[in-house]
Amino acid sequence: MFVVQNRRCQWVLLLTAWLVFPVLADLPPLTHGLTPIAEPADSPTLRLTSMDDEIVDLASLRGQVVVVNFWATWCPPCRREMPSLEHLYQQVGDKGVTVLAVNVGEDEDTVFPFLGTVEPSPTFPILFDTDSSVLTQWRVRGLPTTFVVGPNGKLAYQAVGGREFNHPDLIDQLLQLLEK
Amino acid sequence: MLHKTPRRLIPIILFLLWGESAIAQTRTVDPETGSVTWEIQVHGVTLSLTQILPDQARAFYVNRGLPTTATESYAKSCVYMTILRNDSAPGAVHFRLSDWSVVSTTGSQPPIGAATWLKRFEADGLSQSARIAFRWAQFPPEQEYQPGGDWNQGMLSAGLPPDSEFDLIARWDVAGEPFEGILKNVRCAK
Repeated sequence: MFVVQNRRCQWVLLLTAWLVFPVLADLPPLTHGLTPIAEPADSPTLRLTSMDDEIVDLASLRGQVVVVNFWATWCPPCRREMPSLEHLYQQVGDKGVTVLAVNVGEDEDTVFPFLGTVEPSPTFPILFDTDSSVLTQWRVRGLPTTFVVGPNGKLAYQAVGGREFNHPDLIDQLLQLLEK
Repeated sequence: MLHKTPRRLIPIILFLLWGESAIAQTRTVDPETGSVTWEIQVHGVTLSLTQILPDQARAFYVNRGLPTTATESYAKSCVYMTILRNDSAPGAVHFRLSDWSVVSTTGSQPPIGAATWLKRFEADGLSQSARIAFRWAQFPPEQEYQPGGDWNQGMLSAGLPPDSEFDLIARWDVAGEPFEGILKNVRCAK
């Protein structure tokens, strides 16, 4: 116990180091490909409370292309791709493409300060899957994982790992889905 | 040119060429933290291990609400930030962590997966949020990466004492065909 208490101060300093650590590491570039889902099926349900204390139901977004992103603040690639999701939302949000970012296992007290560090700060809905049950239902195996739901409510694309969501090729894929 | 090469040398030449292009393991040291990264690119897949120093692991999980008893045993279990990416494999890369091998002088065993650690932590009474953070911060126990850039980054516990040395044999399949990549002489952080 004595050792633990003495180390506490050291840990506080190292918390900062941890935030720096993934940035310094030689991380791979974010890619921008979406994988078409071979046999598109209806998306699993998604009905969660947002940061604004509103219930957001994926079913009510039928007719739009919905980018569903599962993430957490402690996940380095999730943090890296978050600004590109906002850029995407700003570019095509008024064309029928929306973004839902589902945070896994954290609460507003943790997520809100993080969002303040993202530039540009997200304006799309941030939803809370506090017990990870939605994550399980969507068969996510690693964070981040992103699904694209077509206007017909079926899963159209999937991306495992960080992406550059505002890359022109990726935006084209989403807009083409809107035209189908 | 080839017709003048003795036939018995062709397999050797091909092996050398393949070895040169496919198994070029790199080792880099982060000047800020001293953490070492080992990386290979093989069969269109990139695999890398970056040492997570015990204090970094402690800090990360204490901040996520794990009890110190739990973080202490995990932090000393030879932990790496692990990246596996499908750059240009001939199809979807599928793996199970339980098929991988950590080979050291003490024997060979798979890395210690999240489920095993969470079972060990049962007596520590982890909160739901701590349990979720631990589980999802770990490298996936099973995953499939499509070509063109699917990847994950997660923590992997080799389950060895600090400063141990080992080879990691990562195994995966593409449409049922087995492949492997080996990171040699990987060292646990002290």
